[in-house]
Amino acid sequence: MNNYNTHAKIGLKFAFGALLLIASFFTVILMGAADLTFTDVYSCLFATCVDPLTQTLVWQIRLPRVIIGALCGAGLAVAGAVLQNTTRNPLAEPYLFGVVSGAGLGATIVSVVFKEASASYLPIAAFLGAILAIVIVMAVSVAGKHTRKIESLLLAGVAVSFMLSALSQFILYMGDPFAANRVMFWLMGSLARVEMPHLYWIVPVLLIGLAIVVLLHRQLDAILLGDESAATLGINVTLVRVILLMVCAAITATIVAYCGGIGFVGLMIPHIVRRLFASTSLILVCGSALVGAIFMLWVDVLARTAVDGQEIPIGVITSIIGSLFFLTLMHKKV
Amino acid sequence: MAASLQVSNLNWATEQQQILIDINFELVANSVTAIVGPNGAGKTSLLRSIYLGLANQTGQIKLNQTCLSLLNRRQIAQQIAVVTQQNDAVCHLKVIDLIKLGLLPHLNWFGFSAKNQTAHLDKIIQQFDLTPLLNKYFDQLSGGEQQRVLIAKALVQKPQLLILDEPTNHLDVHFQHQILALLASLGITVLMTVHDLNLAAQYSDNLLVMDKGRIVRHGNPADILDEESISDIFKLPVQKGLNPLDNSVHMFYHWPQQVKHNE
Repeated sequence: MNNYNTHAKIGLKFAFGALLLIASFFTVILMGAADLTFTDVYSCLFATCVDPLTQTLVWQIRLPRVIIGALCGAGLAVAGAVLQNTTRNPLAEPYLFGVVSGAGLGATIVSVVFKEASASYLPIAAFLGAILAIVIVMAVSVAGKHTRKIESLLLAGVAVSFMLSALSQFILYMGDPFAANRVMFWLMGSLARVEMPHLYWIVPVLLIGLAIVVLLHRQLDAILLGDESAATLGINVTLVRVILLMVCAAITATIVAYCGGIGFVGLMIPHIVRRLFASTSLILVCGSALVGAIFMLWVDVLARTAVDGQEIPIGVITSIIGSLFFLTLMHKKV
Repeated sequence: MAASLQVSNLNWATEQQQILIDINFELVANSVTAIVGPNGAGKTSLLRSIYLGLANQTGQIKLNQTCLSLLNRRQIAQQIAVVTQQNDAVCHLKVIDLIKLGLLPHLNWFGFSAKNQTAHLDKIIQQFDLTPLLNKYFDQLSGGEQQRVLIAKALVQKPQLLILDEPTNHLDVHFQHQILALLASLGITVLMTVHDLNLAAQYSDNLLVMDKGRIVRHGNPADILDEESISDIFKLPVQKGLNPLDNSVHMFYHWPQQVKHNE
């Protein structure tokens, strides 16, 4: 009975979250520099648009931005939740592997080499750069001889991040001054350049990643007991950890390739969800996806509307909110 | 059916030193055996060599006549449950979710089990009186409650052999006796390390005394705990007596200065 009540409470919270997500979706799509009414958006989505301008605004600007923004928030929060449980480190987050620095390096090289023609190659280059960072971090920590694998993973992430950033800075310093502007996009994070076709890449990666995490959620719970205890439950801890790290890396690299470095979402959201729902990894991951999506929708509204006639990069806002949250967390931990 | 564990010619060395040297022993089915010995004697390494299998270990370990090296990790987990020493694991799971993890070795990739495990789970929750704790978080429980939960999780695995590393560590006298009495009443084969010789003697059928990587004595506590050998192993004057409450062997220790002072 007690257990039934607990499940019912969690179910209610998820139902409330889902309603909030739907309500947020239809609210934020109306908000921005150009005024749109609910009727305009409704007729565009479910019938015929009132005019071609509204059609372009809804289908090519607002809708991709809102959908990809929500998926981006969900993906980063899921990756953060998985990483925090996998590494048993409450301060772990998706950019742990130097993914942003790697993406920045990829974008820098392409910007300097291909110059003006580089725009279409930037996401691919950023993705490859992100993957490069992850491969180096994993090679150092997983294949290394360290007995404390988790600690070496975190430290390798910091070292690789600095190394790749330094390389980017050196290339930018030596190369085309205009390339710096193009690369800034990756470093600050923005949803301004997202388009509907990006969904063909983002959606499958997120869905496959989420499916793998859901399949391994019990193993992820067991890892919370410690590596040795998990092994005594019949789990191949190294294999499960490598699979989950690769999933997080793929999700993060994909998001970074299209949206740039949107920091702190993956750190902050899982902590909030732990307080709201907190129990098993399955609930944490699903709850993080929901709350991450809602959070990103509203942060994007702030990015679009806070300053008249100018857009603030979304990564700047998440970093301000996130760093304050981080400091509060550190204060409580100490 | 409870297990009979046989360990033969077990040796294990790190790059620096030999940790386990020529270990041979056999556990009687359904008995409680405690491994005792000074710090660094190799007690935890011996347990880990049984339930994990350490790199470069040699020798043979059989459970019910089956060599453990022939089984995969999952098959071993279906037969041996382990309660490791609690250290830095911060586990923010509810007690009910943590206990259910004991079912993992019996579940397939999609979380299904060949048999319905609910009755088995309920029985263990009742046996360990865990109903009031089920919706509490593990990291908010007292040390004794945490240990009870971990042992319950281990029994959910339906093990033939239960291994515990220092189950009474950091527990007060009340919980030390509660946990050891619980283990003695389970009716399955239990192998554990215990620091306190008197607790080990009180609740175990057999003792394995280890020193410098070897098993130096093995048998009934009353027979093998003698003043000379224990004094020699622990480098401490010891006097053997009886616990007046249950007539189990009781060792009394004297720090050398104390002896001198009394004289």
